[in-house]
Amino acid sequence: MAHDRAMDRRRFLRAAASLPLAAGLVAFASPLLRFLKPNVDPFDVLQPTRHDPPAGEPVVAATLAELQKPWDFKYFVYTQKYPQYTPEGFRSASVPGVAIRLPAKIRMPWDWVRATGETPQFTESEIIVFSRICPHLGCIYNFVQDWREITAGYGGYVPPRERQHALMGCPCHLSIYDPADPEMPGRVLSGPAPRPPRTFFYTIEGDRVLVRRVEPGGIA
Amino acid sequence: MARVWDNLREWYRDRRSRLDLFDETLVTRQANPFYLLGPMLYYFWLVTVVSGILLMFWYEPTPEGAYNSILHIQHAVPLGWLIRGVHKYAADGVILCIILRIYRMYFLGEYKRPGELSWMWGFAGLVLAMISGITGYLLIWNQRAFWAAKTVLTVPVYFDELTAKIPVIGERFNLGSMIAYLFLGGPAIGAATLTRFYALHFGISLVLLIVIEVFYYRTRRQRLNMSLFPILVFSAMLVYISWALPAELGRRADPNRTPLPILSDWYFLALYQYVKYTPPLWAGLGPGLLIGFGMLVPFLDRSKGRRPLERPFFFVVGLLALIYFLVFTALILFNIAVIEREPPLVLLVTTVVLSLAFVWEIRYRRRQARAAAQAQAAPPAPARAAAH
Repeated sequence: MAHDRAMDRRRFLRAAASLPLAAGLVAFASPLLRFLKPNVDPFDVLQPTRHDPPAGEPVVAATLAELQKPWDFKYFVYTQKYPQYTPEGFRSASVPGVAIRLPAKIRMPWDWVRATGETPQFTESEIIVFSRICPHLGCIYNFVQDWREITAGYGGYVPPRERQHALMGCPCHLSIYDPADPEMPGRVLSGPAPRPPRTFFYTIEGDRVLVRRVEPGGIA
Repeated sequence: MARVWDNLREWYRDRRSRLDLFDETLVTRQANPFYLLGPMLYYFWLVTVVSGILLMFWYEPTPEGAYNSILHIQHAVPLGWLIRGVHKYAADGVILCIILRIYRMYFLGEYKRPGELSWMWGFAGLVLAMISGITGYLLIWNQRAFWAAKTVLTVPVYFDELTAKIPVIGERFNLGSMIAYLFLGGPAIGAATLTRFYALHFGISLVLLIVIEVFYYRTRRQRLNMSLFPILVFSAMLVYISWALPAELGRRADPNRTPLPILSDWYFLALYQYVKYTPPLWAGLGPGLLIGFGMLVPFLDRSKGRRPLERPFFFVVGLLALIYFLVFTALILFNIAVIEREPPLVLLVTTVVLSLAFVWEIRYRRRQARAAAQAQAAPPAPARAAAH
């Protein structure tokens, strides 16, 4: 009888000792696990970036002088900053973009802008600014001024007569976009892309087209 | 429950005792090159690991230094070009041997009892070798490396469409983005990506090698079941190819410019064409399903025979996979893709061929059953004395 009780006590002591041991192990493992997910709020390990959305400084995409005629375009690079535990306090990724002058005014696809806490200056414009990151798998697609080049090098797409103008084509998987589609700018004409390219939100200040934000989503 | 567990353990022990990872038990058939694939695989693997460790002395895993250090290895380090070439071509040899061996095992029904575990290890080995390959060629930090890594790691992002459908968890748990973040070490390809890929590239081969060595140690099997002559021939071949066809360097990675056309390593080309054809979620799920099918083939195929024509359906599936691998690779090499026309065509052909294969299987089985019934109805043949 006494022997049994001695065993019980030993088991109790073992259990009591194992608790701090397990806690110690968890404490040891947690920074290691956290290392696997950078730029995350320390305690919210399952959520990548929803609480601290990326943002960058406004950038001049082009001047109005550079975008005078229809189908004039200008490439630029926007630096997007993600909060992170680096000496600078952020980590930056480049988002290449293209500013295009269209032949006619279209409605800006800026439904996402209000969620970022800003209001657009205008809702219609002849200038549209796309992110050049292909929404399919993240390659940088090109603005192709001559549609015949699309047919020759980007997968054999022959646009119908009304779309025979400058198009955008991705060399990786041959998605083709129409920047001037009046209902849905950047509409996917051909290829595996699931949606039009993401757009930039911009304002026009004096002569400059100032890019302020890029539509969230995807990997830069 | 306990019985199921016991059965499973019994199954595992039995298969493990007859595990044949590198064709060590097929000594009698060494004259046939298709049975030399096992030892060849092991040989190429060892060469890859040794040359890889040599490369690590000079390689610098940072976005600024990676490409320059490869240039340095290629042109300044004495025999650097040879080490790099041998590393690349031996790795290609590993992949080629695994692929050929898997096809041999598939068409000859070697995955059937008791080879299930050997098959599963072989198939997992192919997947791991391909992961090691893709993580390896990011390290060069050239255009191909950069864009391959980028597209590969955007594929899992579309898994979020699946998790989003789960009611409460879907809002907090973005499986795809989490996978991508884990490998990229952030929102885009950068320094963290390079170190993570470096660790994976090195870790996969080394961990597997340790596991294999422990297996050899415990079973006392022969490591290289191959005579000296083929070893010398393969070594000479590696040196010659590295000299005649130096491992390519490509252009330094430029994140703002996608090259046209963009190609990955040869064993990913077919997959690359498939990604062109399919919507992104399926581009991610398709290879997963293929891997799942490969791992489960020994349990799906319940047919009796081992010869290809004794199991028509699985024979046709294997043949189709082989043909698609070759055709897709050829298509992407010639940069032919008319996106509106080809995907429906491929789908149609696949559906028709698989349906026909299914009909063939059923008809074959019926005929077998009828023959068996007739044999039973007929009077038993008179017993004969055993021939001597």
